[in-house]
Amino acid sequence: MDRDRFIAGINWPGTAVLVFVGLAWEAAVRTGLLEYEYLPAPSTIALGFGELASQGILAPDIAHTLISVAIAWAVAIVLGISLGFLLGLSPVARRYSLASIEILRPMPGVAFAPVGLLLFGFSLKTEMVVTILPVLWPVLVNTIGGVTGVHQRLYDVGRTFRLGRRDTILRIILPAAMPPIIVGARISLGLALVLAVVAEMVGNPEGLGYAIVREQQALRPDLMFAYIVTVGVIGIVLNAGMLALAKASFPSARQLRGG
Amino acid sequence: MRSAPWRQYFTLVVEALPSARGLLPLVALLGVWQLLQTGPSPYFPPPSDWWDGLMLLAKSGRLYPALSATTITLLLGLAVAVLIGTGMGLFIGVFPRLSRAFGPLLEFLRAVPPPAVVPVAILFMGYDERMKLTVVVLAAIWPILLNTSSAAERVHPLLLDVARSFRLSAFDRMRLIILPSVVPAILLGIRVALPVAIVVTLLVEMLTSIEGIGALMIGAQRNFQSSQVYGLLVLIGLFGLLLNNVFAVFEAILLRRWPPKTQSQNF
Repeated sequence: MDRDRFIAGINWPGTAVLVFVGLAWEAAVRTGLLEYEYLPAPSTIALGFGELASQGILAPDIAHTLISVAIAWAVAIVLGISLGFLLGLSPVARRYSLASIEILRPMPGVAFAPVGLLLFGFSLKTEMVVTILPVLWPVLVNTIGGVTGVHQRLYDVGRTFRLGRRDTILRIILPAAMPPIIVGARISLGLALVLAVVAEMVGNPEGLGYAIVREQQALRPDLMFAYIVTVGVIGIVLNAGMLALAKASFPSARQLRGG
Repeated sequence: MRSAPWRQYFTLVVEALPSARGLLPLVALLGVWQLLQTGPSPYFPPPSDWWDGLMLLAKSGRLYPALSATTITLLLGLAVAVLIGTGMGLFIGVFPRLSRAFGPLLEFLRAVPPPAVVPVAILFMGYDERMKLTVVVLAAIWPILLNTSSAAERVHPLLLDVARSFRLSAFDRMRLIILPSVVPAILLGIRVALPVAIVVTLLVEMLTSIEGIGALMIGAQRNFQSSQVYGLLVLIGLFGLLLNNVFAVFEAILLRRWPPKTQSQNF
């Protein structure tokens, strides 16, 4: 029963188009129809994967990028949620800081790369300088929005049960604000990957971002595409993981879908 | 009661601005920085030096060409991305079979982080303006395309019935029914694409040293001109802020004639 539904749920035309594009690409390169010096056929890219895996350099690159993403994301979540609660609960704090946040928020992360390089040279610290601030905003802003958006009636419930301040925060506000916070965390995770790749390209010669640039400069497009596919797959897996987590914890929340 | 249109725009702008008191933490930070740092420093030059650094760049005649190069690439890239993204999005969204068939391919292409495209473009097109523009277009096109196509798919069936009742031609149906109902989605797509486009433009400039603010900034860092680095950082921040706000006003003005959003915004 479940299996039937799974098979029926597969997007056959979509899969067919993917396969067709892959085959057409392969054929076009093999027959010389598409003659670019640097365009590898899909099969060559697959062989590139094999080469990277057998040399044992793919796994460390993936690990480095994932660790950077994890650090930046963890910092963003801890800072974003705690600051977000502070600003969400205190109108005074909000009044005296919102404009600063609005001014800093559109700051493109990559602009911090030269500052990071100036202070720390080529290092993981520079990577964090580039990554953390842009990754913080979605969590922070969504937490503030979630906390200020808690319905008045829920506060009334808290008052009816004579909950103290701590219990009101933990048992009324936190659960009510959770869906937007999770949306923010999901946006942040995607951003963290993008910015880690950016930072590795200009600020920290390690990980997947640097590997892509390295293979480009070494004129090995097959390896370069293999790394790009890897980054794309990691992006999809991280996003799907967050979606599944959100669905499992809040089955009824509609705003968690899409994106 | 109808006031002059410019007044309406003015109120729109003023209402969109957060309270000026909120600037306090930023001003305090810069003030403390200025007070603690008395002389020039290779790492944390005082904010008053940042301005001198920028003026030095302006006097040497490198600031304005870089600023205009970055602005032109960005705006041109966004414009091309809007044209192609909207066109393809409408075409894909209007035919449900097409959107189902191309869905997975588009999702995968979107999942690839835009910066990863930069080395590919460098390899294929070399170090020139055309490459820079292509990268910006490729980064900005996905949010616009996917938003447009999903909005075109979800045009209210009643509106499509209206088109049928009036026996509209396919062209008129597109022009009068579908296009107006996807405009908010297109604008949302542009709003998502804007910061990505800025990041990618700066990244290309940093990686390739093609003229632009990014190249200027990485050059200043390599020469240890720390005051110029911070000055350019502020300049880029203001640039991003300006673009975002100009677009927000533009969006608000354009959407005045559309029904208000039913879904409340997050913040």
